[in-house]
Amino acid sequence: MVTQEKLAARFGHLATDQRMILAVLVIAVFLAFAIRTPAFLNGQFVIFPLIRDTAVITIVGLAQLVTLSIGHLNLAVGRMAAVSAMVAGFTYERMGFGLFAGLIAGVLAGALVGMVTGYIIVKSQVNAFIVTLAMDFALLGLVTFTYISLTDAAAFTVKPEGMDFIRAGSLADFCVFGWCGPSVIPVIIFPALAVVALISFLYYRTRLGRELLVTGVNLRAARLSGIPVNTRIIQAHTLSGALAGLAGIFLAYVNGSFSAAIGNELLLPSFLGPILAGTLLTGGVVGVFGTMLGTLLTLVIRQGLLVQGIGLETLNIALGVILLLALSANKIRTSITGLFRRKAVE
Amino acid sequence: MKSLAKRVRTTEFSLTVLFVVGFVALAATSGGVMLSGQSIRSFLTYLAIPILIGLAQMVVLAVGQLNLAVGAMGGAAAAVMAQMMVVWDAPIWVALLSGFLAATLMGAVNGLLVVTTGLNGFIITLGTLTILEGVQFALVRSFTIDGYPDAVKDFGKIEYFNIPSVFMVAVVTAVILAWFFRTNVVARKILATGANPLAARLSGVSNPLSVFLAHTLSGALIGIAAIVTITSLGGINRSIGGDWLLSSFAAPIIAGVLMSGGVVAVYGTVMAAGVIRLVDIARAQYSLDPSVVNFTIGTVVLSTVALSEWRRRRSEIRRQKYVEVDSE
Repeated sequence: MVTQEKLAARFGHLATDQRMILAVLVIAVFLAFAIRTPAFLNGQFVIFPLIRDTAVITIVGLAQLVTLSIGHLNLAVGRMAAVSAMVAGFTYERMGFGLFAGLIAGVLAGALVGMVTGYIIVKSQVNAFIVTLAMDFALLGLVTFTYISLTDAAAFTVKPEGMDFIRAGSLADFCVFGWCGPSVIPVIIFPALAVVALISFLYYRTRLGRELLVTGVNLRAARLSGIPVNTRIIQAHTLSGALAGLAGIFLAYVNGSFSAAIGNELLLPSFLGPILAGTLLTGGVVGVFGTMLGTLLTLVIRQGLLVQGIGLETLNIALGVILLLALSANKIRTSITGLFRRKAVE
Repeated sequence: MKSLAKRVRTTEFSLTVLFVVGFVALAATSGGVMLSGQSIRSFLTYLAIPILIGLAQMVVLAVGQLNLAVGAMGGAAAAVMAQMMVVWDAPIWVALLSGFLAATLMGAVNGLLVVTTGLNGFIITLGTLTILEGVQFALVRSFTIDGYPDAVKDFGKIEYFNIPSVFMVAVVTAVILAWFFRTNVVARKILATGANPLAARLSGVSNPLSVFLAHTLSGALIGIAAIVTITSLGGINRSIGGDWLLSSFAAPIIAGVLMSGGVVAVYGTVMAAGVIRLVDIARAQYSLDPSVVNFTIGTVVLSTVALSEWRRRRSEIRRQKYVEVDSE
């Protein structure tokens, strides 16, 4: 009898594990598109960009996830990405920095903007919504203004050494004993995987990660347990800024130029990944690897619809519906888990 | 009756002074061009939409929510109206009424989703924003629909003593809204929910109903903004509503409607919209880049937020001191 209950509980747990559902969905949707339009399986024009975009958007999603973990939001993710890309582009074009040095400078700039945002939130005690929203507007003006005053074409078009490799390089460039990797796996996925691993480590293995989550669950309880909540809030926003910045620079590498338009379309995708992964908006629960799967799912749907020749408007409608469905799915999932748990208690 | 000193210290008063000073300064430096009938007309015409969308945002802020979809709702409603008049040859009043009702319905759906899912209004409206942008684009494609009857455009050109009709629509809406929030029981309940949901519930106010009504009212105000848009602009395309978000937040926040909810400031929102419009005029007059406006407004909003919080804290500290003195 006991084993049966255990089995039921385990099955319930597995069936409602967000990552499992996401993985199944990704495969199902992928196969559905592949069967309907074989053109979807084109390596060079569909799969390669799909994985490349997944890499960049996952990092954006993680930038959002870090603020969600403390129960905040970052409406300025896109603009923080733009600031970092701008700083990186500036160091490449005007200061002759190498690829890596410019990347570091850009990420630091993003971290700084995030830190200022966190500091304002802590000091003013104003809702993170409004502070990041105002930050978004201020940075929007600042970035556009800087590009216009510094450059003629409103963009840094410099291409530092190695940028093309990150944009177009794939595993086919790595050969061991005459055997080369598949050309559909872009190299840019590896830094993204490293970031996913790093953030997973932070949240599931370190004290700092635990304290961030506790801050998200209950600020008062966290403070009373001796967690320096203000420092944690500033740290979360700093990390969010740094990750958004990294994504922005990668996006610039992929686009081939550093312009103010970078980050314009990042707000919605930044939420889709974490929310599909079961990250709670109220804080305290995060799904790091799930964020990558969720991002992959939305991009497979996006890419699949584009291959089918479906227009921008349907795409937007589809993305909005996915977001709203994912939100209600969360609700359904918790009620299913609740059902199993209640049975176990009885 | 409030004392004069108290009145002078309000945000409304500071905004009025700021508006008058800014207007006079711009008028003086423009060498009188600003005071010509043509300039005043265009100033007021393009002030109508910021006022209306500022009020639409204010209503949801008052209940402690926010609406990211203002622009998409307005754009989609305007597209519905244009489409009905041009493609389906619907009578003008039917089309305008349908657009207004469509916007109200979108607001109601937002409210319903927020209440049933129990999630933050921000994320729900982010979803509806994306969907409605798609709907707007599906309706107008990449064209500009301007083939609707001249009677619609003529209404936008009516003016009395250089005051355009659309501006009057905005002002009348603001007056009705102010009266509503001052006297109506339902409106007071909405404010009660915004100020303290727990206390409101214990006093017998239905919080879900308040949230739903606030979103619906916001939709209705956006519907009026869409009607103003279609009458005052030459045509409807996919970019309508795309730049509404910033000004919709900026006006009520500068006017002191806090994110915590429970407060409305109709007059302040109207004045703040006027001040923002002055920044826009100044940009055109000194031929600065449009990005300067965004930067200025963003900075002003950030500092307003910080300042109001600092003020609140100071008054709290003062209050605590009184308490300490009392206990001694």
